[in-house]
This record gives sequence, structure tokens and C-alpha cells, in this order.
Amino acid sequence: MQDQPMTGYESQVQALIGTLPGTDDLRAQALEAFEAEGFPTAKTEDWRYSDIRALRKQVYGLAAPAETLPVLPEPLGAVSARFVFVNGHYDEDQSDLGDLWQTVQIRPLANHFMANAERANELVRGDDAISYLNTALLRDGLVLSVPAGVVIDAPIEVLHMMTGAEGAATHIRHVVELGEGAKATVVERFLGDETGYWTNALFQARVAEGASLSHIRVQEEGANALHTAKAYVNIDAEGSYTSVGLSVGGKTARFEAHVRLLGEEACAVVDGVALAASGQSHDTFSHVSHTVPAATSDQIFRTIADSRGKTSFAGKVTVAKDAQKTEADQSFKALVFDKTAEANAKPELEIFADDVKCSHGATVGELDAKAIYYLTSRGIDPATARQMLVAAFTAAALERVPAEDVKAAMADRIDAWMTARSVKAVA
Amino acid sequence: MAGTAEAQKQISEVTGDYKYGFVTDIESERAPKGLSEDVVRFISAKKGEPEWMLDWRLKAYAAWQKMEEPDWARVNYPKIDYNDIYYYSAPKKKDGPKSLDEVDPELLETYAKLGIPLREQEVLAGVQGSAKVAVDAVFDSVSVATTFREELKKAGVIFMSISEAIREYPDMVKKYLASVVPVRDNYFAALNCAVFSDGTFVYVPKGVRCPMELSTYFRINAENTGQFERTLIVADEGAYVSYLEGCTAPMRDENQLHAAVVELVALDDAEIKYSTVQNWYPGDKNGKGGIYNFVTKRALCKGKNSKVSWTQVETGSAVTWKYPSCVLQGDGSVGEFYSVAVTNNYQQADTGTKMIHMGANTRSTIISKGISAGKSQNTYRGLVKVLSGADNVRNYTQCDSLLVSSECGAHTVPYIEVKNPSAQIEHEATTSKVSEDQLFYCRSRGLDEEEAVAMIVNGFCKDVMQHLPMEFAVEAQKLLGISLEGSVG
Repeated sequence: MQDQPMTGYESQVQALIGTLPGTDDLRAQALEAFEAEGFPTAKTEDWRYSDIRALRKQVYGLAAPAETLPVLPEPLGAVSARFVFVNGHYDEDQSDLGDLWQTVQIRPLANHFMANAERANELVRGDDAISYLNTALLRDGLVLSVPAGVVIDAPIEVLHMMTGAEGAATHIRHVVELGEGAKATVVERFLGDETGYWTNALFQARVAEGASLSHIRVQEEGANALHTAKAYVNIDAEGSYTSVGLSVGGKTARFEAHVRLLGEEACAVVDGVALAASGQSHDTFSHVSHTVPAATSDQIFRTIADSRGKTSFAGKVTVAKDAQKTEADQSFKALVFDKTAEANAKPELEIFADDVKCSHGATVGELDAKAIYYLTSRGIDPATARQMLVAAFTAAALERVPAEDVKAAMADRIDAWMTARSVKAVA
Repeated sequence: MAGTAEAQKQISEVTGDYKYGFVTDIESERAPKGLSEDVVRFISAKKGEPEWMLDWRLKAYAAWQKMEEPDWARVNYPKIDYNDIYYYSAPKKKDGPKSLDEVDPELLETYAKLGIPLREQEVLAGVQGSAKVAVDAVFDSVSVATTFREELKKAGVIFMSISEAIREYPDMVKKYLASVVPVRDNYFAALNCAVFSDGTFVYVPKGVRCPMELSTYFRINAENTGQFERTLIVADEGAYVSYLEGCTAPMRDENQLHAAVVELVALDDAEIKYSTVQNWYPGDKNGKGGIYNFVTKRALCKGKNSKVSWTQVETGSAVTWKYPSCVLQGDGSVGEFYSVAVTNNYQQADTGTKMIHMGANTRSTIISKGISAGKSQNTYRGLVKVLSGADNVRNYTQCDSLLVSSECGAHTVPYIEVKNPSAQIEHEATTSKVSEDQLFYCRSRGLDEEEAVAMIVNGFCKDVMQHLPMEFAVEAQKLLGISLEGSVG
């Protein structure tokens, strides 16, 4: 524990005191909690499959605004608004709020607190060193409040770009609130250059009665990046939250979903695909908590580990004492492509109610040799055959992306990843 | 299900009280209370152990002092005061018993109450065709009698208490002791190494199929005694042995500690079948008293095509912490784990298995059935690990939990870690309650609710029960019913 550079973050917090109204006390408390907790180690149970040595080796500074603005990719599909953060700073010029501001409250976090300092109390404090640090060092993010009954059809894209930020971090915070019966889709994208930066993102959402929030994550960080992201979501009665993630970038990447079902017939979906190769480690941790009766949750994860890649999935479903009639399902399937690759799974059930239907299934294996043989005997070359099988393998986990163009863009990335594998195999 | 009616009769006979909760009044010889180097020396001296064994124990004791009690399991119990336990308690006797006639009649009566056929005559006089079982009975900490020795000797099978084996077969004990569970493996294993007082040693020579089932019956009698048993079973090339272990303890208000270590070694083509019916005193309805059962059980499938099969029916103990595991080292070796764990009242069980696949073409099967009733907590915790050199590994795991009350908990914590692409790992888990439809069906056929639940639970456990040897299957079925008594309605 001694080698943890904990003290380096104190001065960063000091430098932010007074910059965002209402957050000073919060920062101080979070820093204290962070120092008391310390970064997780290889022995921390919830982090047993994650390699976050980078965090203990160095203190990541706060990323400065980019000197030269990078060229941004096109949106993944039709959008109703686009929010751009470069090195964790809101980039007004490249963002496009469309017409949304007329019906919903949508603005950068910094502006939000300038107008309503007391709203800072609603910020999630976190539950481990990494989330505490996010709270202590948050500077910007998206604030989206959709009033009751308002339906936003096209997704809101939130693009994170990191550039020239060697040894620097961004602790970005998004706050989403959906009023009763409201509906919205947020697509988060993470991109970056080859520098060794750290993205520490935290997404907090409240889904009111009968509302529906889709949260799509496309993680394509640069090859040397550390990516830690958390979502804290509370869902009221008959509300629904659907998270679908695709993790292909970064050196070490971890996504955590902490979802609480707070009202009857609330529904949580946490799906995802992770593809890891060449020393990458992709880790997913979900905790779905059924606190009331008659809520449902469903999780579908598909991961592939190629040479020196590691994928891990830890999914925990908790059913509280009175949460009768709960239905919870988890399906995890992993492919391992060679002997230097690794797949880990820990699908966990914690059940304190008796009238429930909970199940999980997990499988690990390789692509079905018979299926490849069948396809090649029909004249399809082996690389294409493998690509087709992988597309089929991952399809179930992408199925619940509500926007077809976004779903297609995600499938394209899986295809491209497979193409890169077969090019490497031929060479 | 033919056994159900009989099981029901048993239940009404015992009316839900712990059937085995009697105390035998025998003077026992104890080590001074508490744990110190002197106590370790005392135990070693009492057992007439050679110098190397004492050194080994002292090293283990030193290692244990530096270790910390594990806290990761889902069990809660007040901190154990390791200095408030007697580490050695033996029925008072001048010399070790030379034959059954020398064994204290009161002791024999205890076993008779437990229903163990300690006297060979009893078995022989039993129903025609009933299998013969050799028993090594362990009373508190000392092995009191081993039956059927002569017959086993003829087959070349060594079956004796481990203290005898240390004296008579030191080379063999040296070679295998702690070869599967290293001294520093975990806190309770290290403690066991330092203070184990007796246990069983089995060696089945090359190509020998052990002519009868071997059995150990443990019983904790004296107050405040910890029972630290040590079992070591070695099956040489092509050998086969089936081993039964049963456990009971008298009723006591205080908690008693049981920290055993069981090591199994299977060489080429050997097979070991290890069956346990664990029925330690679970504490009363309010969670008072009961046994802390912190046991390390591990098998090494060392040889090619070797096989180890663990079957356990766990109905007793206040707190259980137990993970019978298989290290599948030999190519083509097979590991199996079949488990039923029942918890009622305030019992807590955290149990499961580890299958470590090291060799090529190794296979494992895990079937775990957890039943929670009352206010109990029942956890399955397991690991399936495939190392990168282990090609063509197969594993199938099924963990089902049944909830019988609204105040209990059922938890599943499986770990899957795979580093080889040719592995095929499948894991399934379900949690549900006894279905209203099934209950309704049974009740409309004239069964009362308790009978119906017992029948449904027995059906739920069938996949595991069928792996138990015949003698145990009947007892286990009865136990299931008894354990769940009072949990319905």
C-alpha cells in the first residue's frame, strides 16, 4: 500500500476549490474518503481480474485543454444533439445542441452549478477510491433533465476525446434525470490518441416512474489508455434502464454498472460486448440490486479474448428480503482464441427472498470447429467464416440498442476487429 | 420414492430435536486449555510421535501464528478465542486398545446409539447381502478402534489411525502428508497441522480394489474441545477405494470448533470416492451453540486417468466453511463434486468446490443443490480454473438453490477462469422456491405440507443422492427430512 501515490491528488483538489459553486465541501469529503480507502489492489475482491498497476505507479495530473483540436469523427447515426468534451473540457464550438434546449434542460455541468449551487448535493459521492476521486476532481460533464412525458427520439451523443494528455486524467461527470414517462437515449463515445492518459468517467442517472433511458457506450480509447467508467442508476416503478456497451479500446478498461430497482415492475438491462487482444484487459462489473417486489433484470454479455488479451465479467444480482416475484437473468459467454488469452467470469447471485426466479448461465470455449467447417465447405474462406460466427455470437448482446444505425455501427466495429485478427493471423 | 414414508416416520420419532444430542459420560484426558508450543509438544508426546513429526508441527504452529483468520466467506460468527479451547481430549485409557473388548463399553454404546456397526458381528449378523463397512471410529480426538483390520490386511490395504501410521509407515506419511494441502495453505489448515490429534490413514496398493467401504465416524464429545482430524488417503496405480465419513456431535450451548484436513492422492488410473454425511450439531432454534466446521478437503489427481469423486450431504453445523476440491494434474483425470447443503434456523453454510485443470483432457462435473430454510444463509462458492497448458478441458457445473422460507438467503458465487482456447466450460445456476403447483399436487394426493416439502426436496436432490453409497443414501434422505422439520408453515 505504501507505493500508492495518494498524496499527489491533494494539491489537485486544492486547485479546484472555488471553481464550481456548491462543490467545495463535497470535494473535501470525497478526498478524505479517497485517502482512507486507497486504490484497489490485486487482492481487492471486486478488482481481482483488473490490472490497475498504472494507478499505483504514478499520479495522473488534470488534463489541460487540447492545444490543437483534433478532427472529430462523424456521429454514429442520426442524433438529436451532440456534446463534445476534449480532454474533459466542454467544447462549445464542436458541440451541437440542436433544438433540444427548447424542450429539455441540457447543458454542461459547470454552467449548471453556476446557476444552481444547491444542485451539487445531488451528485453521487461514489463507493470506492476511483469514484471518490471522480467526485473530488470533477470539472465538467453533461447535465440532462428531460421533463415528464417528453420523448426524445434520436440519441444524444456524448463524445469524449483525449489528445496530447500523457500522464493526465479527466474525471468527467454526467448527470441524467428523466421525469415520469420521459424517454431518451444517450450514446457515450470514448476516443483518444496513443498517449498514456486516464479517463475516469462517472454517469449518474435517475429514471422516474414509467420513464425509459437507454445508455449506449462505445469505448475506443487509445492503445495506452486507462479507462474506468461507472454508471450509478436508480429506477422507479415501471421505469426502465438499458445499458449496452462495446469495449474495444484502451490498454486497461473497466466498466461498472450499479443499478438499483426502486419501484415495482422496474426493469434493468445491462448488456455488452468486450473484445481484448495484445495485452489489453477488459473488465465489466455489474451490480443489479432488486430492492422491491416484481422488478426484472436481464444481462447478456459476450466477450472475446485474443492473444495476450483478457476479458472478465463479474455480475452480481442482489435480491432484498421483501423483493418477491423478482425475475433476474444473466447470460455470459466468452470465447478464448489462444493460449495466451484469458477469460474470467464471476456471475454471482445474492438472494434474500424466496418467491423469485433467478438464473445465470456462463460458458467459455472457442468457436465451433464444426460450424467453421460447414461454412468453409460452402466456399466461404475461413476468415470470413470466423467473422460471421463472431457476428452471430455477439448479436444477442447488441440486440437492445434502440437506434438501428448505432447498432449497425457497433456491429461494424466488431467486424473490423475480427478483420484485424485475421490479417494478423495471415501475416 | 420408497424412502419417504420411512423418513417421515423417522421425523415423527425424533420430533425435530437433534437426534444425536446426547453426551457420553466418559472420563477424558485433556491437554491444558489453550494453545502454545507446549500444547503442541504435549499432543505430539501423547501420540508417541517421532522427532520429525514434532518439528513439523512446531513449524506449522509458528506459521499459523503469523497468519490471519480468513473473512471472505459469507458467514458471521463471534471471534474465536483460540486460547479457550482444549486441543486434545482422549477417553482415559492406560494403553491404546488392543482389541474391541478393551474398548470402554460406554463408548461402544455411544456408537450403538449413533447406529454405527462398530462390532463386526453386528454387521455380519445384519441383513444378508448388506455391504460390509470397515469403521475407524474417532471419539473426540482419538481413534478408538478400527474394525475389519485383518481382512483388509489380506488385501494389502492399510487402514489405521494416522498416529499409528506415523509410527509404522513414517516414509509413506512423510511423502504424502501436506503434499496436497500445504502447511501454510490457509489459517485453519495450518492450525490443524500444529494440533491434529488423530485421523485416518488409508493406502490402497497397486491394482487393488478395496474389498469393502471404509468409514470414519467422527464424534465430538467433551466440552470445549476442538476436533482437528487429519485424513490422508493414497490410492496407488489402478487402485480403487470408497470412503465414507459421518459426523455427529452432542448438544452443547457453546460453539465447538472443528478444523479438519483431508488429503486424497490418486496415482495413475486410481479412483477415490469420498462420501460425507455431515450432521454436526447445528445449534438450537435460536442459533445458540453448534459446531464451527472449518474444513480443508482437497484431492490431487496426480496420475493419468485418475479420478476423485466428492459427494457430500451437509445438514449440520452452525457454521460451515468447506470446499472439497480437485487438482487435476494427471492427463485425462476426472474430478467430480456432488453436494447437497441444507441449512435451517440460524445455520450458515459457505461451501462449494474448486476444480483446477492442469492436465490435458481433464474433465470435471459439479452438481450443487442448496436448500435454505428458517433464517439460514446458504452460499455456493466455487472455482473452475483452466491453465493455459491444459488442452481439451471439459467442465459442467450446475448450482441450484431452493428457498423454503422468506427469511433465509441463498447465494451463488462461482468463479470461472480460463486460459486455454480448447476448453469447454458450462455453468448454470437457478434459484427458486418450492412451487405452489407441486405442493398443491402432493397435498391433493393426501400428503400434509411437511411431507410434501420433504418429498419435493428429496426429488430436488436426487442427482446428488444417487451418488451416495447405499448405506448413506438412506440415512441422508432421513436427515434431509429431519433438518427441514419445522421449516414449513
